[in-house]
Amino acid sequence: MAAILVYSDHEKLAPELLTAARLLAGGKGTGIKAVAINNAALAQDLAGRGAETCLINDAAILAADTAAVASALCQAAEKLDAAIVLLSSDRRGKELAGRLAQKLGAGSLADVSGLKAEDGKVQCTRNTLGGATVAVQQIETDKAVIALAARSFEAAPQQAGGKVSELAVAATAPSVRLIETRSKASEAVDLQAAEVLVIVGQGVGKEDFPVAEKIAKILGGEIACSKPVATDKKWLPEDRIIGLSGKKCKPQLALIFGVSGQVQFTVGIRDASTVVAVNNDENAFMLQMADYAMVADAKEVLEELNRALG
Amino acid sequence: MEFTLSKEQLLIQKMASDFCEKSLAPLAEQIDRDNQIPAEIIAGLGELDLFGLPFKEEYGGAEAGYDCYVLAMEQLGKVSSGPAITISVNCLGLGAIDKFGTPEQKAKYMPKACRGEHLASFAFTEPGTGSDPKQITTRAVKEGDHYVINGTKRFISNADYLGPMVVFATDDESGKPTAFIVEKFCAGYSISEPWHKIGYRGGNLLDVYFKDVKVPAENVLGKVGGGFPVLTYGIAFGKVGISSVALGGILAAFEAAAKYAKEKTHRGEPIAKFQAIQLRIADLAMKYEACRWLTYRLGCLANDAKDPMLFAKEAALTKTFVCDNYVEAARIAVDVHGSYGLMNDYLVTRLYRDAILGPQVEGVADMQKMIVAGVVLNS
Amino acid sequence: MNIVVAMKQIPDLQQIRMRNRQPSLDGVPYALGLIDKNALEAGLQLKEQSGGKVILVSVGNEEVEETMKEALAAGADEAYLVLDDDLADLESSQTAVALAELIKKIDDVGVVIFGEGSGDNYSGQVGPRVAEILGLPQVGCASHIEVNGATARVTRSLENADEILEAELPMVVTVLGDINEPRIPSVTQILKAGKKPKQIFAGSDLEIGLAGRAVSTISNLAPENARKRVAVGSVDELISVLRAEGFVGR
Ligand SMILES: Cc1cc2nc3c(=O)[nH]c(=O)nc-3n(C[C@H](O)[C@H](O)[C@H](O)COP(=O)(O)OP(=O)(O)OC[C@H]3O[C@@H](n4cnc5c(N)ncnc54)[C@H](O)[C@@H]3O)c2cc1C
Ligand SMILES: Cc1cc2nc3c(=O)[nH]c(=O)nc-3n(C[C@H](O)[C@H](O)[C@H](O)COP(=O)(O)OP(=O)(O)OC[C@H]3O[C@@H](n4cnc5c(N)ncnc54)[C@H](O)[C@@H]3O)c2cc1C
Repeated sequence: MAAILVYSDHEKLAPELLTAARLLAGGKGTGIKAVAINNAALAQDLAGRGAETCLINDAAILAADTAAVASALCQAAEKLDAAIVLLSSDRRGKELAGRLAQKLGAGSLADVSGLKAEDGKVQCTRNTLGGATVAVQQIETDKAVIALAARSFEAAPQQAGGKVSELAVAATAPSVRLIETRSKASEAVDLQAAEVLVIVGQGVGKEDFPVAEKIAKILGGEIACSKPVATDKKWLPEDRIIGLSGKKCKPQLALIFGVSGQVQFTVGIRDASTVVAVNNDENAFMLQMADYAMVADAKEVLEELNRALG
Repeated sequence: MEFTLSKEQLLIQKMASDFCEKSLAPLAEQIDRDNQIPAEIIAGLGELDLFGLPFKEEYGGAEAGYDCYVLAMEQLGKVSSGPAITISVNCLGLGAIDKFGTPEQKAKYMPKACRGEHLASFAFTEPGTGSDPKQITTRAVKEGDHYVINGTKRFISNADYLGPMVVFATDDESGKPTAFIVEKFCAGYSISEPWHKIGYRGGNLLDVYFKDVKVPAENVLGKVGGGFPVLTYGIAFGKVGISSVALGGILAAFEAAAKYAKEKTHRGEPIAKFQAIQLRIADLAMKYEACRWLTYRLGCLANDAKDPMLFAKEAALTKTFVCDNYVEAARIAVDVHGSYGLMNDYLVTRLYRDAILGPQVEGVADMQKMIVAGVVLNS
Repeated sequence: MNIVVAMKQIPDLQQIRMRNRQPSLDGVPYALGLIDKNALEAGLQLKEQSGGKVILVSVGNEEVEETMKEALAAGADEAYLVLDDDLADLESSQTAVALAELIKKIDDVGVVIFGEGSGDNYSGQVGPRVAEILGLPQVGCASHIEVNGATARVTRSLENADEILEAELPMVVTVLGDINEPRIPSVTQILKAGKKPKQIFAGSDLEIGLAGRAVSTISNLAPENARKRVAVGSVDELISVLRAEGFVGR
């Protein structure tokens, strides 16, 4: 069977692709090759995770030039005899996927969250119909280009056996000129943009808020609250309220402490991907609305979490 | 018989709902609270040609017909009744000018109001009467090539905007009601503070005072002494708008109740599992469908109304049925919400306040039934 | 210079009902994808800036002609359509081939604009594929487009940075949903949309052999709607759950 090639210019996502490739290969001796372009550190990192890594060093290949990157990867795939290319489904990766697939004559899919080899074909799990359904789609062509959603797979751990070798490809004429790159300044609190929300209700004492806030920061998220916490107790500003009279959010993770779960609250987190609820009342409705429900004292859980994560 | 909408009809419906979602819904609570429609909403509705939707292109309208008018007004009424009523009254005034006006009157008064730069009014009600044209006390006295109007009109929508106002006054020659086109804010025209009304907030109601208002004789709308047909036929077209706004309210009540029934839980089960709630949701569905097709039909009839009395009857029965059902639907929606439905955080409180106005405006429900019975029993 | 905007007809997502977790498309009307409307708006703004016509291209079943009225109402000047019930359900690689053929029929193309992903499938593959077939430069995820004579300056908005790029025209751009606020057509524009010029082709008019599907759908189900409701006994357990879901240890 031909090799699997993995490529992402994103340092955190590339190691996830490696894990996905290993799962797909399933120990069937399929060779896995990682590619890095103009990024020796990333190549080293991937090699440290046991990957045979090819480093393409050619200043003419700009990461921003999708056509040039696609051309380089197409040549790499041919040289390495790869039939499956795994990319990251960030904005760069998705854009690259279509162009590369067209060059390779491959079927392609992006935003893929699960992979399976089935009768020599790759089956991909992904959302369709605007997120209303989860589809399993099979790539029918001999070649496949698949862009994987972030966090669908764990990063590959450190392991021996990897190495970096250089790979030369023919550069194409640049198709775009990069005038300027501006990094995005992080904005003021925007609960709706937060991927993680730590939400406190009346079951959490004010003295525990700093801990909750710290956990939110560790997880890269924001602290939010039920309505009475802000309007009655005034422990947090009103722009942190989740629910009917507050914000309706779609975080990846909502960690909810001491909220009873009235519908006026839950409409605000209905679209969260994962809900974790902690409540000391086993009959609290919030626990039924959770993916992970913990009957416990909020204060104790907050403190223990803080110790474990901090 | 076909009960499907054309692509154009669907697009007009969608256009209105897109505007609502993007621009109107975020301001709906503010409009209700402040009893005022922000100027950008009026401008936005004007850009979409919603002020003159049924009227001819040559007079500045979009010439889309009353069928499309009904579809757009339903969407606006669902989200914010104030702007919807403002358009409805504009089309009531313009409709009277369109049906009874001379080409010169139409060319002079319709285009700006079709674009929403001006807004038309229709002034019949007085402190002494709202249902009986014989009792109006506003007087028009002819002096050479013009009339001089004196009197007070009550509860007049859009009286605080520039534009034409169709005013009913008894003229001294015929001794009968005659319709005049008065330019608002001309010399002798003044208005009261807006009335603080319970619903349809934002669509302002004012009293209008005419003090020696001079109107050129060519501004008589229809015939001298011929105010009665202008009133009955004109207001029949107004009822197309009122019915559509109420229909939108029923839809809002229905959707709010169904949504709440699925979200609110008792002992871990959504209240939608209870039969008592299910029956209410079914009632709302029945009311909406019945009112919907009756109103859509009225829109189609308005496009091609031949016999004024027959059309007046259809308009009266549609308006009465739909507005009465809106009152019931709003009540049912409140019931589904329980006490939460009494809190202003929930939309149904506004719907409940809006609904109650419908049966009173553009002819009280009782008078509508008399129109219907009159036509039925006389034919 | 003409601006081409590719738009896809998709089922109106709001009206899809689930029966036993199966999406039922029976009687669900078609609509334009949301981001496709941003693509059109970007095209209209470019036209206001630098003239030319906005020409929309679409491939699909006979209904596409009706669906595209909305885009014509919103301001597109002309439509080039491939209408063929056999081409109703193409996947990205096939759509790209058909669209590229259509675009080749249009004179003086400057910018070809796509939405960054279709409303239904949202894989974002068609625009880059068309760029490759036509051999054009591409910039995806655009948050700003500006044409200056024979070149365009496009801002690609990545997760953590904006890249300002310049390319020779013609080029392909895919736009983000927040690049603009699509305008809403007026009543008059809606009523006149049906009369705008259209070039309609059948599948057999295009000199392309469409290859078979490169991707097929094995199953498509609504997710189990209830929350998992897994009981967690201790903080250690909670942390391993968070780790398994990828929230801890990154
Ligand atoms: C019109 C209207 C609009 C509303 N809008 C909103 C809104 O937008 N957002 C909103 O949040 N609410 C809203 N509400 C209020 C809502 O109905 C609830 O009253 C509110 O969400 C309850 O907040 P809570 O869960 O924090 O408090 P409570 O209902 O008091 O619940 C506290 C919970 O904490 C648990 N608990 C107590 N001690 C501990 C402990 N030591 N450890 C763990 N758990 C503990 C309890 O078992 C209980 O379940 C609205 C209400 C109305 C009438
Ligand atoms: C939001 C709103 C907008 C309005 N806009 C306008 C406008 O733009 N222009 C305008 O002219 N008016 C307008 N009005 C006024 C409205 O049209 C009148 O209030 C309405 O026609 C009823 O008149 P009335 O209040 O004087 O009631 P009345 O005529 O006093 O009726 C009161 C009750 O008496 C009974 N009744 C009266 N007469 C008879 C009869 N002959 N036979 C049997 N029963 C009878 C009916 O049961 C009725 O319910 C508006 C009102 C509202 C609330």
